Parts: sequence; C-alpha cells; structure tokens
Amino acid sequence: MVFKFLRVNTTTGEVKFERVPEKYLALGGRALTSQLVSDEVPPTCDPLGPYNKLVIAPGLLSGTNAPSSGRLSVGGKSPLTGGIKEANAGGIASQKLANLGIKAVILEGKPAGSDWYLLKVTPEGAELLPANDLTGKGTYEVTAICRERYGKKVAVITIGPAGEMLVPAAGVTNNDSDGNSSRYAGRGGLGAVMGAKKIKAVVVDSPTTFDAPVKEPERFKAAARKFAQILQSHPVTGQGLPNYGTNVLMNIINEAGTLPTRNFRFGRFEKASEVSGEKLAEVAVARGGKATHACHPGCVMRCSNVYPMPDGKVCAPIEYETAWCFGPNLEIGDLDVIAKLNYICNDVGLDTIETGCTLGVLMEAGVIPFGDGEGAVKALEEVAGGTPLGRIIGSGSANAGRVYGVTRVPAVKGQGIPAYDPRACKGNGVTYATTPMGADHTAGYAVTANILKVGGYVDPLKPAGQVELSRNLQIATAAIDSTGLCLFVAFAVLDDPEGLPTIVEMLNAQYGLNLTADDALNLGKQVLKVEREFNLKAGFTSADDRLPEFFSLEELPPHNVVFDVKKEDLDQVFNF
Amino acid sequence: MEVEVRVFSGLEKFVPGAGPGKAILVQVPEGATGRKLIEQLQIPADQVFTMFVNGWHATPEQVLRPGDRVALFPPIGGG
Ligand code: SF4
Repeated sequence: MVFKFLRVNTTTGEVKFERVPEKYLALGGRALTSQLVSDEVPPTCDPLGPYNKLVIAPGLLSGTNAPSSGRLSVGGKSPLTGGIKEANAGGIASQKLANLGIKAVILEGKPAGSDWYLLKVTPEGAELLPANDLTGKGTYEVTAICRERYGKKVAVITIGPAGEMLVPAAGVTNNDSDGNSSRYAGRGGLGAVMGAKKIKAVVVDSPTTFDAPVKEPERFKAAARKFAQILQSHPVTGQGLPNYGTNVLMNIINEAGTLPTRNFRFGRFEKASEVSGEKLAEVAVARGGKATHACHPGCVMRCSNVYPMPDGKVCAPIEYETAWCFGPNLEIGDLDVIAKLNYICNDVGLDTIETGCTLGVLMEAGVIPFGDGEGAVKALEEVAGGTPLGRIIGSGSANAGRVYGVTRVPAVKGQGIPAYDPRACKGNGVTYATTPMGADHTAGYAVTANILKVGGYVDPLKPAGQVELSRNLQIATAAIDSTGLCLFVAFAVLDDPEGLPTIVEMLNAQYGLNLTADDALNLGKQVLKVEREFNLKAGFTSADDRLPEFFSLEELPPHNVVFDVKKEDLDQVFNF
Repeated sequence: MEVEVRVFSGLEKFVPGAGPGKAILVQVPEGATGRKLIEQLQIPADQVFTMFVNGWHATPEQVLRPGDRVALFPPIGGG
C-alpha cells in the first residue's frame, strides 16, 4: 500500500491525495502532526487564519493488531496557547484512517464564504460535501445523522457549536464503536481551528479495522501477542484500569492531599469518594451501564465506562480529570451533576478540563457560588446559545480570569491545569510549567512515580528529582504518542523491562525497520525539540515556562506546601 | 490506641463495615506498624500496594501513632 496524505485546501475546495514524502514515512501520531505543523505552519500566524492547518494523524501502529494502538493525534497551532498543539484522542477514527493508508489528513486555507462542509473519506476517495444542514447541531446529533447517512460503522470526527463559534476551548471529537461522540482531542482549542476551516465533520468509512499493512506479519503477531501479555500481567493495566477506570484515582489523589479543591485552594475534598471511580462503577452497573468499556476495538485495558444519567441519556465515559474538574474543583459532590456537565461539553464541543477550570474561575469571581451544580449546568447551557457568558466560558480559564479580575487562575501558557495540584505533586508541576503544550498532565505524567509508585518513587512533596522525572516522562510520552498506543501502556512499560523493546519490535516488524530502544527515545526527544522550536519562534520565552504566582505564595493544605522547584531548574528540563 | 483507616478500590471486601472512603476506627496496640494493622484487618499483604499515613507515603514498617489517618490501596492507575 502507498501511504498517503489527504490534503484539503478549504480556500479553493481542492481535495487531493499525495504520496507521503520520504522524510515523513517513519513518523506517525504526534511526531507527524508536530513535524508537519512545524514545516508548514508559520509560528506567528493567526491560529484562526488561513495559514494555520489542522493535521489529523493515526499513530504508527494504529490499524494493526497491536493492543490499544488506535489513538488519534490532532495537531495545529493552538488558539488557546498560541503555541504548537497535539491533542490525543481515543475513538475509532484512527484505525479507519490507517486502514485506508492515510497517514494524515491536512485541512488548510480558509474559505471566504459562509458555507460549511463535510469531508467524506472512503476507500474510493475523498470529497467535500455541503454541510449547512449540520451546523448549530451538537456532536451527538451530528454523529447520529452521519451514521444514519453513511453507515453505522463510519467514524465521525466533528466539532460542536463551540467549534463553529471559534471559541478557544473548543475541541475536536470522534466516536466510539457505539456512536458516542465523546472521544475528544479536547485540549488547546483545535475545534476552533477546524471551525475556522468551515469543516463541520470528517466522516471516515473503512471496511477494515485491523488490516493496516504490516511488512512481516508473523513477527508482528508474535510481538503484539507479547505486548498484550505485558499489559495484562501488570496490576495497573491488567486489573486497576479495567476494574474502575481512570476515576479510580480520585481517592488516592485525595488521600495524597493533592486533589485540587475549590479552585486549587485545598488539597482534599470531603466528598471525594462520592465522585470516585468506585462509586461510578457501582452506580453505572446498578443503572444498567458499564464499569469497563473500550474506546476503540482492540484495547485490552478498557478503562472507559458507560454511565447512564437520570434523564435516560448516557455519558460514556466519565474520566478522572473530568470528574475532578466538575467535582472537587467546583466543590460538587454529585456524580449525576458531573455527568451532566460532561455530557453538555461533549455535545456543545468543549474541552472538559478547560471548561471545569473556567467554571472554577467564575466561582472564584462569585458569578456562580461554589458547589452550585444547578448554576453550573445553567451557565454551561449558555454556550450553545452564544450568549456573552457562554462565550466567556468557551474562552477558557485564563481569559475568564482576565474578564473577572481573578488572580487564582490555574493555567500555564493559557491552558488550564488539570487534576493534580502542582504543590503536592511537584513532578507534575514541572510538566505543567514546561511542556510545549501548556498545562497538560499527560505530557509527562509524574503522578506515576510521585503518587502511584509506578516506575520508581520520587517524593511528591520535595523538589528533588522532579526535573529529571518530568524530563524522562516527557520524552517517553512524546514517543508513545507517536505510536498510536494509548499512553496508559506506560504504567506497564515503566515497570517491565520487556515493554519498550516489545514496542520497538512491533514497529520494526510493521515497517521493516531496525530501530533500537534508543531510537525510540530519540524520536521522543526529536518531537519535543521540534515543538519547542515552534513555540520559541511563536514568541515564547522561559517566562512562559512558569506556574502562576499563587502556587508559590499560597500554601496548599493538608501538607501546607508551595511550589518550590527553582526557576533555574525548570529551565533545565529540555537540556538533553 | 485508635487509628482512622480508609480502604479503597476493592480492599473494602476484606474489611467488614468498610466502604470506599468510609473511615473506620481501629484499635491497635501501642507501637503497631502498618504491617501489623494490615494483618489485624486480615487484608492479604500482597493486595496492599500503597499505604498513606496522614497523606504521606508510608512503608509497612512505619510505626503508627494515635489518631493517624491511614489509607490503603491496591495497585491502581489512570490519568
Ligand atoms: S486504556 Fe482507555 S483510553 Fe486507552 S485506549 Fe483503552 S479504553 Fe481508550
């Protein structure tokens, strides 16, 4: 099979397939989106203007039998941070694109008119179709309509009204096998970039899921089987994630005293267990939902869930960070309220973490009282109507903080800080401060060694060792994000010496390469260099690699600690 | 002496009266260690992966003090 780029010029309406140039052949996922953005997008361009591009890429292993390998990377210049962005999603689109031999979909240019389009991709080719009838609709409805029109098995990559309105917290979503449009490349406002191109949806129709070309099938099969065993035999990936999903973290982060509560004022929430994964599993099962679920076929860790809501709809899944941002962060101790806020975000097309951080800032400002679930729901419902408050919510935490004169705004590079307080989980603090993505827990998930004791142990309350920990995790993450493997494989890979070699073996068998483990880590380093270079050219300096001031001024109970990793040390993270 | 114990993520099935996040008060001998507490609660030692005492990571050898808040977890992860 010849690998293709699908390039869509939204200015002219031209849709064409290109043979992938040599230099991009060994790249996939984040490595590919970031390299393409770096090569083709001027760093100083307007994120919503004609020079920005939206790049959608499956990972290197996506579309094969490699377990949990169907993650999708979406890249571009972020309207939220002004820097480079790769947002990573589950769902079924990645495997389908890979099965069609498409290494990346590139949306570029900007249409002059006000018409909206849908990009339809099938084994026969690709075309732009009129989509004005889909505008203004939520992602669930758009996905249902497209599945009705183009077949139940299609993947629908889409934006909600928030993306159409070009608000900087808008995400890009796609669906799971059941048609839930809840698998978000949420962070950084890439939904607004897609909206600026006037593409409401990309529908991908592929008859196969696991048949992406593999050079040495027998060798690949053996490696994939071994990797599945590695995942299944590690206690976290084999039992913890399948049993309770990611929200199992709620209680341990609370006990560790690093659960940001009341907009990062406290490190513990008295109702944490009410909104935890254990409770979620209990309620979901009692209501006929599911405590374990795969976001795409072939995932063996199945961390997802299906939570039936009182109104008869389902929210699938509720992830830990979302439960946190609408729960403890807002002092809301009711899973049904959290599910409702989550569902509205999925439907209107907003990143949940950013929206939760923004609601926290609005509560800080007194616009809505803390703990007022009904008030939060009502405010969030304003986004679809495009009211001024709705637009402020869609503009993200940093912007909302400016509008309301709030200084306790948990954001770095304009992007909201997720579910682990950097003062009592300092390794994550280093990651928030320094990753080219803006505050992002996944970019270097130091919770592993800080709290979960996976991949070693570094005391979360002391600055020592955090820079090195974050650096190594950021490198490994950039590599994993390029393979299409779910980042959660890291729990097993960090502990099992066979993990990384087995990933490399899969890559070698698929592409007929001779990579070593070092080559994989070098790929991670290369990705980070490219991303950082882009940000430097976009105008970022070391001043942007810092946490908000209040983290070094206000002590976080119960440990009463501030963020005290030295600035000079933060500046060493990319010294490799 | 008395300590305040919380068990999570499946460990509650070993401890009558425990629910996730529900604090139970346990009498232990003076000078008891974390290991002793786990034994006394009849939780299989290999099921406990992480122990916090007052929010700090603790080893099984740590000596408990009256009123300590102890939390016990099996291996878990997410993110
Ligand atoms: S572990 Fe969870 S997020 Fe990762 S691929 Fe599986 S279901 Fe999706």
